[in-house]
Amino acid sequence: MWRYLLGRVLQTVLSLLVVVSIVFVLTRLSGNPIYLLLDVNATERDQEILTRHLGLDKPLPVQYGIYVMNVARGDFGTSIITRRPVTEHIWERLPATVELGFVAMLLSVLIGIPLGVYSAVRRGGIMDKGARIFAVLGQSMPTFWLGLMLILFFGVVLGVLPAGGRGGPLHLILPAFTLGYFTSAAILRLTRSAMLEVLASDYIKFARLKGLHEQVVLWKHGLRNALLPVVTFAVLLFVQFLGGAVVTETVFAWPGLGRLILESITTRDYPIVQAGVLVLSTLYLTGNLLVDLLYSYLNPRIRHAGG
Amino acid sequence: MKRRRWITVAMVTALLGGFAALPGEAARPEGTLTVAVATFGNERWLPHLYVGAEDVVLKPLWENLLSRNAKGDLIPMLAERWQVTDGGRTWTFHLRKGVRFHNGTELTAEDVKFTFASIARDGSANSMAPEFRTIKSMEVEGPYTISLRFDKPFVTLGNRVTQGLFASVAYIHSRKHIETAGEQGAERQPLGTGPWKFVEHVRGDRIVYEAVETHWRAVPHFKRLVFLKVPEPATRMAMLRAGGADVIEIGGEYLDELKKVGIRTLVMPNVAAVWVILGGQWPTKPSYDPKVPWAQPDAERAKKVRLALNLAVDKKAIFERVLGGVGTPVGTVNYYPTDPWISAALLKPVPYDPPKAKALLAEAGYPNGFEVTMNLTAWPGRGYLPDVGEAVATYWERVGLKVKRRPVDRAVFSADFRARSYAGVALAYAGPIIAPEPWELFARIAQTKSAVHLLVEHPKLDAFIDRLATEPSAAERTRIMREEMGPWLYDYMPAVSIGATHSIAGVGPKVGEWPLIPGHMGIHNWEYVTRAAR
Repeated sequence: MWRYLLGRVLQTVLSLLVVVSIVFVLTRLSGNPIYLLLDVNATERDQEILTRHLGLDKPLPVQYGIYVMNVARGDFGTSIITRRPVTEHIWERLPATVELGFVAMLLSVLIGIPLGVYSAVRRGGIMDKGARIFAVLGQSMPTFWLGLMLILFFGVVLGVLPAGGRGGPLHLILPAFTLGYFTSAAILRLTRSAMLEVLASDYIKFARLKGLHEQVVLWKHGLRNALLPVVTFAVLLFVQFLGGAVVTETVFAWPGLGRLILESITTRDYPIVQAGVLVLSTLYLTGNLLVDLLYSYLNPRIRHAGG
Repeated sequence: MKRRRWITVAMVTALLGGFAALPGEAARPEGTLTVAVATFGNERWLPHLYVGAEDVVLKPLWENLLSRNAKGDLIPMLAERWQVTDGGRTWTFHLRKGVRFHNGTELTAEDVKFTFASIARDGSANSMAPEFRTIKSMEVEGPYTISLRFDKPFVTLGNRVTQGLFASVAYIHSRKHIETAGEQGAERQPLGTGPWKFVEHVRGDRIVYEAVETHWRAVPHFKRLVFLKVPEPATRMAMLRAGGADVIEIGGEYLDELKKVGIRTLVMPNVAAVWVILGGQWPTKPSYDPKVPWAQPDAERAKKVRLALNLAVDKKAIFERVLGGVGTPVGTVNYYPTDPWISAALLKPVPYDPPKAKALLAEAGYPNGFEVTMNLTAWPGRGYLPDVGEAVATYWERVGLKVKRRPVDRAVFSADFRARSYAGVALAYAGPIIAPEPWELFARIAQTKSAVHLLVEHPKLDAFIDRLATEPSAAERTRIMREEMGPWLYDYMPAVSIGATHSIAGVGPKVGEWPLIPGHMGIHNWEYVTRAAR
């Protein structure tokens, strides 16, 4: 078990290093931030001063070495645009993203799991067909379009929900639903197929033969066993939400981490892009690692195969 | 008796009511004006750190030495009067006494000196740094008087220290505050003399101001002014319609939609000149390519090509179909229909005449056209430019050119600008009205010694710029621009001139009157926006 654990941790660290390196190279290939920071008519001297000030005059391998050393010490550097510590920017935006991701996840689970269960139980019925249409729509509708339609209907036509921005709980409803709809559809499908498999198993038949109430069979014995893949999937989705909410954050003017990274890409603010991607990658890889460890704990065959 | 008492009460009430409605007495600020804008720029608050794109959101907090009136003439603001002597080599500003920063300290000439020195310092990002570095000396002649001296005449310094222009970022800062709080402290708690004081800045989300109820110049009608950063235009429109915003920045391409849903618009006319840059017209630079058809050494053939490229494009249709009908086609690059130096001849667009364009191309030696790259690049606040480029490319194809479209990011293309490595490449561009006189923009982007090139480098144009820059008489400058430089530009045709476009804003029902300064690109004059009558 310990060997397996050590192996997985090492893999995670290596993956992070690869991510850091790729992002470092790609951001520098995408253009020089000096041209965006200074006015078009700035002199060569201004460019030189700023280039030196930002450490961009050093050879790339040296810049890379300094960056990796600093990151290892927990220092993500200073924003090129705002000249403030990058960690301040990340901490400013992370709460908004976590808040949105958490509520979106909650909505996904609250919609996806019950619908998935009922869809499996009423297989082929109207409920099942309705749920499958809901799932197909959710997975095929572009987030951008859905967000704008929701804004138009609930914000403009009905006037019951705010059209954008971050404020009270009402501000959360539309972006969270937009973000969560896609995943609620995915969770619905996963729950449905897992439930169908579980409901066909011998121990469910046995439970029914014992005369247990159908609701007990369904929710206690059926769902509990079908939930494992769903929970795993949900954890990974939540981590994905944190970085993948760029479109939703842009449409709803939600000041989150995804938008910060997007804006930093357009202004070539390397340190923020690098730190943002690193934070998201760390969350994703850590989530993956935890899920793997959980699986190996629950299923010894995995750790034996891996070790 | 009882009746008489009631009459007395009614008369007193009427009298008081009448006093309350007297025009000179300003009502107390009330309510919140919420504004959704596309960008906050770099979100910086110090004179050497902001570039100019922040203009809209910074303006409420600060003030300039001068302003402009409804006719566009310079008028006093923080400086109550000023003198220009020595043919434009010396500018003396006399400050208004008793103007206070929001922490109560009085504005003095030391603050002006400190601000201008900050703008000019090495590594400054301020768009006016190169010009402020030409200041030879600044002498504080008293607490309220400062003189700026230059080696060469700087005849339009007034336009640099005024509010009412796109790049008007010479806001006067408090020296004491920045020195005491430090740069980081001053960035977190910026301090100005403007009609609005700083309350809160949540980076990437909102900037909140509160009205200064005892301001020396103008007490705002709204108590709070909140700027929200909403990058998506459709969301800004929805927020305005839903009441989540009272004012939105929006492009002309949305004008029809705004009209359809009955939203009022505020038009800031003639604030950007649109033209198509024909890259490569820099014969003195190492990257000059003599094979570029419009920049070849044979001046006659090159001119025929440039004229053909102009004749091939229907500018009127571009305004109607791409720019939402907001603007006017103009034949001379960077000239506006309302300029005092415009004439009917300079205003007249080059006609749309594809057969003549084809004939000219054949005469120039290109009967089958030639290959050209059209860069499709969006600039902040000018998102329509790739569409203009696409339209021009399509027109050029109709006269036989083979146009390769190249969508390219601004940061990537900015490097090409500086390296002048885009010979033979065309690009739609909108020059913001950074200064009232067209040569002021040319001095930055179309002079042989400029850092970048966005039009043409030509000894004739250099000579015009040099003459105009040192001509103290505004009347004579107007004459030169109308009778000499304009006709030369029209005849030389260094670019495909599309025309002058407007800037628009969508306005909600809470907003009443809104006086504007002509030629100002961004939304401004927040302190004069009245509340709509209920």
